[in-house]
Amino acid sequence: MGIHSDDQKAKMKEMQDNLQADTHPLKRYRHIGERGGRRLDGYKKAGGDADYTMDVQLPGMLFMRFLDAPYPHAKIVRMDTRRAEQLPGVRFILRYDNPELPEKASMGKLPGLYGDQPPLPGIAHFEGEPVGAAVAADTESIAEEALSLIEVEWEQRPFNLDVIRAREEDAPLSYPEMYPAGNYWNNGLFNELVQGDVKKGFAASDRVIEFEFFRRGHTWIGPERPCGVFRWNGDCPELWVKQQRPHLVKKNLSTWYGGVPMNKIQLHCLYQGASFGGWVQVSWNMGPLYCAGFVARKTGRPVKYVFTRREDFYGESMDNGRYRYKVGFKKDGTILAVEGVSTIVNQQWPMFNVMNHFRENTKIPHLYGRSESVWVNKGPAVPTRCEQLPTTLSMTMVFSRVAAECGLDPVEVALKNDGYEGHDMVRLEEEKRQRGFPATDSLKECVDRGRAAFGWDDRWHPPGTRRLSNGRMHGVAFTWTNEWDDSLGTGEIAIRIERNDGTASILAMGCDNGVDAENTYCRIAADELGMRLQDVHYNPQTDPGFFRMSPDSSTNASVNGWAVRHAARILKQQILQAAVSPTAQTQRGEYRPAFEDCTPEDLDIEESVIFRKSDPSVRKSLADFVMEAGQSGPISSTENAGFRWAFTEPFFAFGYHVQLGSYNPENPRPHLTRQAHFLEVEVDSETGEIFITKAVNVNDVGKAMNPMSCEGQQYGGTIMGLSRGKFEEMIYDSVTGVMLNGNLLDYKIATIKDVEAPIGTILVESGMGYGPYGSVGIGEDIGTVMTGILGPAVHNAIGVWIDDHPITPDKVLKALGKA
Amino acid sequence: MTGKGTAGFTCPYCGKRFDTFEELKQDILTSHRGSPLPAPEGQIRLIVNGQEHVENVEPSWTLYHLIHDRLGMTGSKQFCDRGACGSCTVIMDGLPVLSCMVLAIECDGRTIETVEGIARDNHPLIESYVEHHAMQCGYCTPGFVVTSKALLDRNPDPTEEEIRDALSGNLCRCGTYPQHIIAVREAAGRLPGHKDSGGV
Ligand code: FES
Ligand code: FES
Repeated sequence: MGIHSDDQKAKMKEMQDNLQADTHPLKRYRHIGERGGRRLDGYKKAGGDADYTMDVQLPGMLFMRFLDAPYPHAKIVRMDTRRAEQLPGVRFILRYDNPELPEKASMGKLPGLYGDQPPLPGIAHFEGEPVGAAVAADTESIAEEALSLIEVEWEQRPFNLDVIRAREEDAPLSYPEMYPAGNYWNNGLFNELVQGDVKKGFAASDRVIEFEFFRRGHTWIGPERPCGVFRWNGDCPELWVKQQRPHLVKKNLSTWYGGVPMNKIQLHCLYQGASFGGWVQVSWNMGPLYCAGFVARKTGRPVKYVFTRREDFYGESMDNGRYRYKVGFKKDGTILAVEGVSTIVNQQWPMFNVMNHFRENTKIPHLYGRSESVWVNKGPAVPTRCEQLPTTLSMTMVFSRVAAECGLDPVEVALKNDGYEGHDMVRLEEEKRQRGFPATDSLKECVDRGRAAFGWDDRWHPPGTRRLSNGRMHGVAFTWTNEWDDSLGTGEIAIRIERNDGTASILAMGCDNGVDAENTYCRIAADELGMRLQDVHYNPQTDPGFFRMSPDSSTNASVNGWAVRHAARILKQQILQAAVSPTAQTQRGEYRPAFEDCTPEDLDIEESVIFRKSDPSVRKSLADFVMEAGQSGPISSTENAGFRWAFTEPFFAFGYHVQLGSYNPENPRPHLTRQAHFLEVEVDSETGEIFITKAVNVNDVGKAMNPMSCEGQQYGGTIMGLSRGKFEEMIYDSVTGVMLNGNLLDYKIATIKDVEAPIGTILVESGMGYGPYGSVGIGEDIGTVMTGILGPAVHNAIGVWIDDHPITPDKVLKALGKA
Repeated sequence: MTGKGTAGFTCPYCGKRFDTFEELKQDILTSHRGSPLPAPEGQIRLIVNGQEHVENVEPSWTLYHLIHDRLGMTGSKQFCDRGACGSCTVIMDGLPVLSCMVLAIECDGRTIETVEGIARDNHPLIESYVEHHAMQCGYCTPGFVVTSKALLDRNPDPTEEEIRDALSGNLCRCGTYPQHIIAVREAAGRLPGHKDSGGV
């Protein structure tokens, strides 16, 4: 490799954990940012050819099903599996007390939160938890029948379902094995955020208000249920997993069964029927995979497990609980102090502080945030399209309250308080300049465009003041925050130029969740390499490494996008260097360069053709340049025929990227780009029904590399967010602790009939992201931010706050004094 | 089908009942001589995507299980497992049905069309879904395509409202709904004979 690719490697290293504007953007974009184009995985997905883990079937495969706890907190005292074992077709029953099962195994990486846990517990901490026994049988129905033949004697224990009750002194212990001293994580304090002195802020305020609200637990509903297939090839495990972070599976597995070297593990991650977050890393899901591997080894047959839809229902979002606020502000809407306390259940993931987005986005000088995690006997709470649900919900509720209290337009209140870490916009603009960014006022631009598209100025009105001719009350709401620029992760990606036709293969650990990441990678590689888009293909790798913190989902643009770009730039320099160097050097002699008498700088590549910049007629396609894959090599065969035809070096380069982003107490990079959302509703004050009539999203994504994919996240996130705000809640019977609506008939999610309103999607491209070409990610944030916006919209319609989300018709009627 | 019921013995060809086995035998020899052997219990014949399949099915098997697990046509997906999501939809004798809610044994003599058949026939829906990115994770997508195909078969020029009605039983967690309306409308315009398709 010549000096030039080394230069590019040095530049790659300079860009690690980027804190500034992209100093080396492309001069010209061809495919990056191009609108339209077929979806690259579209034919497979629409035509039924895309394979998911649920579709995997192997010869001789056994099906595994789990015993589900009938009680919310109970210990198995005695279990009789003899009748089940005698059922024809049952091949193995793994019991929780099998002496070969370890007491605990690695199920994640954060000890205490979701670290080492029993792979098959004998104690249930929520109703429906797979515990006690795993049955492997020839068919799923035999496994199911066998489960019904297992006799269990349970020792029922007292339980908690309610977050407030669970934090009281005399509450029973929800999880005594992990938390013997009480139902709090870390004595109640999950994390704390202090900025300034809220007391001073309240004292200087014209008004101080206090309020609280509840958000009830909801779940992700990945369409493909949790599943996995495990097979042993000798001492090498081969597995297929539905997991958003396959590298963690491999890491955990390497410690199981007495230890398996990483290089013996073959892991396949096929298309993923969406998972929306971090549930994959908890023992609840990892344990079954452990059991499948254990039984596969015992039986010598591949084992597949698939959770039932109900089993998948127990996972919770990270916002289920109570939120309390005290807010001090001036009459003009300038907020001086916010104190927020969130008390949320079962956090199995490092949770964002409830005041985080206030710190990141506003000039509010005094903030105090306290996030508490309380254990109740429900399923684990993990990121469900984002762990930032509580803090964005808080932004929506606090800003809407202040605007309503002051009788001000919420858009104006947002603009008035925009800033970062207590500093105003002047300071933020200075930050932008120092880091090489354009000093665009992102929120102003988002608001201006959204306001015009929505018709905000005609539609906004004081709360409870507009009744429509159809008899319904009319309401609107606005919310805002930053774009998620806090990407954390690593990414490793390689690109290879294929022999014979000179096409490029992007090699990376795959895990497609549907955000069209491959399209983005291909666009970056095509533009950077000077290739046609159709000549670049993403070949997701099942195993060989190329680890990525979050393949094809979170941090795509901001981490993996960088890695593709680094690899493409190194590769391009390799190609140009090779183009002016001897085509090959062997003991027979030296072979003439493809481009003679010039340097790499004299050449470029466009449309997959290398050419001399000063005379484009001197050109060679990449295919001709890389030449054929030889048997003994074209060198010898062509020499026999009387002429020399050389064999170029193989072209392969890898890039990587490491990023901490703003996940750092000192936060070395302020959030620069903003998003703004507008919603219109009509409320039937007789029935309490809410009709969504218009939504507009404006997202400053810095640079939209793949606009249709960005828009997909805008309307898709809006639909998921509003569905959560309007319908979604897991309901438990308070006497038995049993979930009552763990299926898709009783737990409603939005259908196509629920989104008849137009959903506006506007992309702002300020170039102010820390990702490649100034980009920012968009996949997680809209679904998260839109979850809370229905509350203020309904308030604007009926003039009464409903402090219990989701906002359902019965609550509307109650608020109106009609129920 | 065969065997001793409460009224004696049942003829496997015509269902007639006899008190003794001898009577049954005599009747078969006189009335059904030369007829092909009756199908064994649990055997069904059905046409899937134009091809005949003869399968021995267990009484508890769903049509989804038969198609997905036995015939290996994995385009039909199982999102909910109880008739709530539409992702397992196939077309049976021209009508969309939820294959997780139909017993395979009831499908004797039926004609089934799955997403694989629709794609193989190059139905304009496929290209239109690809162009309009009417999918994200793609897990629900085949169910939408099959339901839309059934709609276009009976109504080649549906309105937006008619598309919404037809697809109201198909769930998509990724929230791709707006694109389906666009994709189905456009596919309708490309159907042979449609005023916009340029065909006859
Ligand atoms: S799987 Fe058949 S309707 Fe959901
Ligand atoms: S595309 Fe993911 S569920 Fe519809």
